[in-house]
Amino acid sequence: MTNFFSFNTARPVLALLGLGLAGLAGCQSNLDGPATPTAGTADFKRYIAVGNSLTAGIEDGGLYLEGQQNSYPNILAGQFAQAGGGQFRQPLFTTAQANGAGYLRLAGFTATGSPITQNVTTNLAIRGLNSSGGVLYTKYLDPIDNLGVPSIRLADMHTANLGNIQPARAYNLVNFLPYFERITPDGSSQSYFQRIKAEAATATFFTMWLGNNDVFGYAVTGGASTTADNMITRTDTFNLKAVRMLNALTASGAKGVVSSIPDVTGLPFFTTVGGAARTALAAAKVPDAAPFVYTTGILAPGQANTRVAATIGNIRNASGSTGTLLLTLTASPYVGLYGQPTGKCWRDLYTLASGAPAKGAVFGGFLTALGVDTTKAFAQSSQNPFPSPFILDGTEQAAAITATTAFNNSLMAAANSKGLAFFDANAYFRSIAASGAVSNGVNNTSNYISGNLFSLDGVHPTPRGYALVANEIIKVINAKYGSTIQQVNANNYRGVLFP
Amino acid sequence: MQVKSLLFAGGALLVASSGALASGFQVGLTGAKNVGMGGTGTGLYLDQASQFFNPGAFAFAPTGFQVGGNLAIPRISFRPAGGDQGQRDLQNTNVVPFSGFIGFGPKEGKWRLGLGVYTPFGSELHYAQGWEGRYSLTDINLRSVFAQATAAYAITPQLAVGAGLVMLAYGDVDLQRDVPVQAQGSTAPLHAQLTGKADRKFGYNLGLMFKPSDKLSVGLSYRSAIDAHVSSGDITLTNRPAALASSFSATKFDVTLPLPDVYSVGLGVRPTEKLLIAFDANLVGWSCYQSLDFAYTNGVLGGQAASSSKRQYQDALAFRLGGQYQFGEHFTLRAGTFYDFSAVRDGFVTPETPDADRIGITAGFTYAINSRFGIDGSFLFEDFRKRSQSQDDLISNGTADRVAGTYKTTIAVPGVQLYVKF
Repeated sequence: MTNFFSFNTARPVLALLGLGLAGLAGCQSNLDGPATPTAGTADFKRYIAVGNSLTAGIEDGGLYLEGQQNSYPNILAGQFAQAGGGQFRQPLFTTAQANGAGYLRLAGFTATGSPITQNVTTNLAIRGLNSSGGVLYTKYLDPIDNLGVPSIRLADMHTANLGNIQPARAYNLVNFLPYFERITPDGSSQSYFQRIKAEAATATFFTMWLGNNDVFGYAVTGGASTTADNMITRTDTFNLKAVRMLNALTASGAKGVVSSIPDVTGLPFFTTVGGAARTALAAAKVPDAAPFVYTTGILAPGQANTRVAATIGNIRNASGSTGTLLLTLTASPYVGLYGQPTGKCWRDLYTLASGAPAKGAVFGGFLTALGVDTTKAFAQSSQNPFPSPFILDGTEQAAAITATTAFNNSLMAAANSKGLAFFDANAYFRSIAASGAVSNGVNNTSNYISGNLFSLDGVHPTPRGYALVANEIIKVINAKYGSTIQQVNANNYRGVLFP
Repeated sequence: MQVKSLLFAGGALLVASSGALASGFQVGLTGAKNVGMGGTGTGLYLDQASQFFNPGAFAFAPTGFQVGGNLAIPRISFRPAGGDQGQRDLQNTNVVPFSGFIGFGPKEGKWRLGLGVYTPFGSELHYAQGWEGRYSLTDINLRSVFAQATAAYAITPQLAVGAGLVMLAYGDVDLQRDVPVQAQGSTAPLHAQLTGKADRKFGYNLGLMFKPSDKLSVGLSYRSAIDAHVSSGDITLTNRPAALASSFSATKFDVTLPLPDVYSVGLGVRPTEKLLIAFDANLVGWSCYQSLDFAYTNGVLGGQAASSSKRQYQDALAFRLGGQYQFGEHFTLRAGTFYDFSAVRDGFVTPETPDADRIGITAGFTYAINSRFGIDGSFLFEDFRKRSQSQDDLISNGTADRVAGTYKTTIAVPGVQLYVKF
């Protein structure tokens, strides 16, 4: 039998085989990527964002450059750009004034694990004070597409001179917003509505997330405030204004997304301190049945200042499994004083309200008018109750939730009547509070600081939180307008930074 | 409020098999002749590699020495389910599995004794910086060496039994991932690196071969499970924020990775003197691997002293077919194929083991320089089926500690082996 495969004839065959195998070995498979983003029936040429602090990009209690760059409208615009979207201009702070309005930074933790925050006070964009001593920010009068104005309420939509420091008068948040003044031409009396109407004339797409502050002011002051901007807006007023705003936004045929208002009671601003207090009190062997006396409703001389005799067990615990009383983040310095004969809480409240140090006969008169005796045990005696501004009880929560639900029904009806997309932020934030939000292997939760979704003010999201919101809005846009906008990788956006 | 819910969900050690078998990131590369024939061997008695495949068959094998190495060339592609920034081509690093065996005994006699060394698994994967699954895994480097002492006895000229004492002689792991915690002033998150060496562990294999004639041989073998246990590995953290030092204080870790047992059955048929056809089936007991549990010592990681990540592997089958044809005195050509089922369930795929059902084709040759010496060459190409999982899959399975997306892997492994018969 002759050798067909002697080595000589085999050599070229082997060489070919080797090349083929080498080719096979080096080959990297190609996986199909997502389809090229398209706009569907929407047009992203000029996208404007209408809203409040959530839209402007506030984080950690203040507006600053990094927050603006990570605002959800900016994230959205980046994705829209892949499908015909144009430039998205924001009233950015300069690099020299990158810390904007100032914000909170985490400085460390106490021995018991409580966070210590401090204010950032350098490189600010504060140019002076108005006649009432309120801050004024460096103006930004170039054209912008992000029209988010922190603190704006739908109730203030038509208020004239909202961004005008002339005429000099007593400024408060009902008739003057420094963030609106920043973007309003000097001396202009225009209202927020008039500004939006003018911008909407050339807009092709919008997002609207308004109405939060129409209930938030009430909640964040524990339902205890008497000032006008902390009252819950009437539902009929809200409905009227929401419809008018949407009429203006859609006047030139723009399409867009209307977002509902999350329930304030799910925010870490309300769920953190109570839980930590219960844990600390349990560790100190204070029983759940121990008294917890607080005041409910408006807290002011001449008001009812009703005391409620509850127990420690009534405070909502960390997991939310038991208790209903919510303590605000601002209550944090005072929970450790439970049972002590102290007036610290009242002194701080007095100073906050009057601007004057808490001493002398005037302060004494204040305490008497409220029926407070600071020699009694704090939060245990009805003569030294836990003050209303720091606690949101069942009645107050119900008022906030009822209003929020009514507002959301208005918004949804208005959005539907105009064929707009609707982002149910209320449902989304409720699901986050219940079970967190997973992003590429990371469990984000609504826990204060460790959850990475909410920033240090306990209300506004972190960049990652904003990215997740942007992704949800993208889903809603794609569903409504048949577009194929890509979501972002939320993990490319940071959570909370630790010292 | 304690920063205690930052969970360092245990990353995953690469899964290894104690044999050349289904799933995980190991490729059956023990014995170049066997590789060339689709990884068959349980029903064959060609050379010293039978110590590994079927110690009973070893009684009928020639005596001699063989040593060989392979170059495993993986190519892994990944696309995330959302937030796609382009296909991720892993910085695929080649690994070099090797094996060596020596067998003694009377040439036509009844017994054999042998020693062997092999590397049933080894893997090195480096994912791109900041890739979508960074909080699951960024890098893994896994190496192991097994040693075996085997004895075989032919009870009759048709029936032989054998047993081997198997030792996990050396194993080390270097596993890295990012942790979603970031320091002020830092652009990169906390990075954790876990390195450790496995304890020496023992196992065994058993085999039986029935060879009614020179034309037919049937083999059965069993390889026992071995637990790879890293008892005191080191944890190295970089970019840890100073404020969280007490939440990320662990310096050592302990983890056990169960390596499964394997049942094999094989057939060898020689229709003519020059042609050999082999068929193998393996059942790998991967269901022993339900979760990967880390215990941290000297402190905590993410506020936790231990972490657990679901695996829930399933037993996996593999079917193999191969053949060889002898051309003349010097040259033998081989070809083979196999189908290997994945041990990983849908929605459970982890980045360090992007496992899927796979189909393999193999080729090989022997060039016998003379009746004593020779060289074997082998080439294996494994094509993994494209595998996807969505974020909803992960959430419903409780496996949200890994990333949603699509994987596609291919591995090419050329190999060479030298043998000497004595």
